[in-house]
Amino acid sequence: MAVEANFPLLILLILLISAFMMPVIKNIRTVKLFSLSAMLLSLVLSVFTFKHVSRAGTFVYKVGHFAAPWGIELKIGYLESIMSIMFTFIAALIIWASFYSIEHEVKEKNIGLYYTLCGLLIASLLGIVYSNDIFNCFVFIEISSIAASGIVVVKDNKENIKAALKYLILSSLGSGLVLMGIAFLYSVTGNLNMDYIHQELVNVKDLYHNTLIISLGLFTVGLGVKSAMFPVHIWLPDAHTYAPSSSSAMLSALVLKAYIILFIKIVFRLYGIDIVNSMPVLDIVLVTGAAGMIYGSIMAILQKDLKRMIAYSSVAQIGYIFFGMGLGNFLGFVAAVFHIISHALTKSALFLIAGNIIHQTHSKEIGSLKGIGIEMPVTMGVFIAGALSMVGIPLFIGFNSKWNFALAIIDSNKILFIAVLVASSVLNAVYYLPIIINGFFGEENIKDKVFRSKEKPVQVLLPELILAFAIVYFGISSKGIIDLITKSIAGL
Amino acid sequence: MERLITNYYETASIILFGIGFMTLLIHNNLIKKIIGMNIMDTSIFLFFIAKGYISGKEAPIIKGAYKGVEGYINPVPTALMLTGIVVAVSVTAFALALTIKVYDKYGTIELNEILEKGGD
Amino acid sequence: MKDEILREIGKFIIPFIQMFGIYVIFNGHLSPGGGFSGGTVLGVSLILHRLTEEPHRASTGISEKAVIGFMCFSLMLYGILKGYSFISGGGELGLLEIPLGTPGRILSGGMLLPLNIAVGVIVCFTIYTFYTLFDKGEI
Repeated sequence: MAVEANFPLLILLILLISAFMMPVIKNIRTVKLFSLSAMLLSLVLSVFTFKHVSRAGTFVYKVGHFAAPWGIELKIGYLESIMSIMFTFIAALIIWASFYSIEHEVKEKNIGLYYTLCGLLIASLLGIVYSNDIFNCFVFIEISSIAASGIVVVKDNKENIKAALKYLILSSLGSGLVLMGIAFLYSVTGNLNMDYIHQELVNVKDLYHNTLIISLGLFTVGLGVKSAMFPVHIWLPDAHTYAPSSSSAMLSALVLKAYIILFIKIVFRLYGIDIVNSMPVLDIVLVTGAAGMIYGSIMAILQKDLKRMIAYSSVAQIGYIFFGMGLGNFLGFVAAVFHIISHALTKSALFLIAGNIIHQTHSKEIGSLKGIGIEMPVTMGVFIAGALSMVGIPLFIGFNSKWNFALAIIDSNKILFIAVLVASSVLNAVYYLPIIINGFFGEENIKDKVFRSKEKPVQVLLPELILAFAIVYFGISSKGIIDLITKSIAGL
Repeated sequence: MERLITNYYETASIILFGIGFMTLLIHNNLIKKIIGMNIMDTSIFLFFIAKGYISGKEAPIIKGAYKGVEGYINPVPTALMLTGIVVAVSVTAFALALTIKVYDKYGTIELNEILEKGGD
Repeated sequence: MKDEILREIGKFIIPFIQMFGIYVIFNGHLSPGGGFSGGTVLGVSLILHRLTEEPHRASTGISEKAVIGFMCFSLMLYGILKGYSFISGGGELGLLEIPLGTPGRILSGGMLLPLNIAVGVIVCFTIYTFYTLFDKGEI
């Protein structure tokens, strides 16, 4: 047993134990540095795990002294190690960027608790990604829903409390539905480990066809409520708008994605793609994904508040991911996983920049952003990288993911949906480009603005610059990632 | 129809889930919504625990002699649902704390009045 | 309602409640109960003490910082014990373990007894903290 096999469990333990040391430490600088160093250590361990997986293949790690089916095991393959690198990398950058902006939004005595909740949230999301036992995934889902409501409500305004209450109740409904799906599966197969359930289901799938459709439907609706699928996304605009800006970045970039990865693992590892293709569930996911793409963009055009517009854009992008999964073929899932990575990079950059802009101009409206490009050029440069990637301009990572979606649509012979893809790209341009144009051009906009007057020092903007560099770099050379994702889904 | 009556635990659990869901949707008072959420969670625990019952056998606690594997019901669902009950209690406590804060800031806990006062 | 009657009865009955709570925690691996229910009983005894005390002395002598310190220490102890057991089992390192003992006695069952005590302490202080925060009017 190689030493690197212990690393996933060690990452979970480091994040959990360090999260509970924060309320005891008095000095705020120590708390911040401690939380960032725990996340960087997890990033280093994730990179070592990925190197081990690419050398030795997928491995199974038993937790404690009992092997499956009596004990819990973690199964780490390509998909889990890539997602673990992405989660810890983006979380480290968001925590770094929150050092400078957290004092304006959260009271002094709650800052230690804020970093505790961040550590708990990332630990539970990594637990959902790693675990091979479906009830263990349910426990981590519950931990992440409480921690995610916590980082919304730590700001203590009127609207925050209402938004967090709505998020908590809808999230509890979603996990109740997931638990009922687990109950149906347990009554049919008698196991809780994903590999053992798959072996039993292959034997009994003709006897219990109705039960399997019901349980897959319950999983889809339950995980859809928690990751903002189209008709049940109504908690998302309020929660992501009123939260502090680094919590919005973490919620929109990371929390929604872990449930989608769990859904992909359930479809591939638990049921097997043959059983799922014999049920009508993926067609329903395709229709809701397409409807979400159009609805999210139309609602974003009608907004006047900057963060609310970016939140509705998140609904549209999650619609893309469900659309890619609903196509049902192999290329569709590859495109969906690639879009998970691209959306995480882009949306976290956009939310952090929006936080900076709102703090410097003291206003949340889009109308007050005229001429902002002259006053904050470096900040708007990162915003341009993020917005152009969302629209799908070549050279940025968004273009690669839309190209993959188009390839998947052509491969699955549902050519009609290319029109939906093109229409939603055009709608994306309608609400992102006016901000850029009003920021830099137009005579009456830039009349009396002073160059770099409201800019923050470059040291403060360094995390966002790293994210923008990653957007451009992966836009130019993304073949390596697509090969890795293809290998990972083929090996599930 | 007689299948619904032989599996009466599961039927009762689905009816309770429906009652809890309707309570969550229809009433305006926030405390009643939280009660509805609790009823929904409890019905799912009833569903899961009923899956472990085998008729004619007794509860899995050793009193005196050990009867072997066939003398007891399946203890795995009850052990799993302990975790579920703890999670449901935590979420209820969190939601009630948030309701108290809503009452402090808005002055009311009826949802239609909160939405009218909104804004700001 | 006379406060002195409540206070005297409280002083008499609270030690019995605490003894029952500790009994439930210590017998968690032999009979129904364990960390959660025993911790709830202990927490309720602390709330009863705070309710029946005189208003100007309404604290149990444990300050807020000490309560948070106890909770964080117990949580870290729980994490370290569990982590030690998991990693020594998964990695097959063959390190020392707490002995299993004979079933039916209190000092048996390996790691179950320390974990139950840690969980009991955490639940007790969490319930007490929720009550004091509601009582003082701030969260």
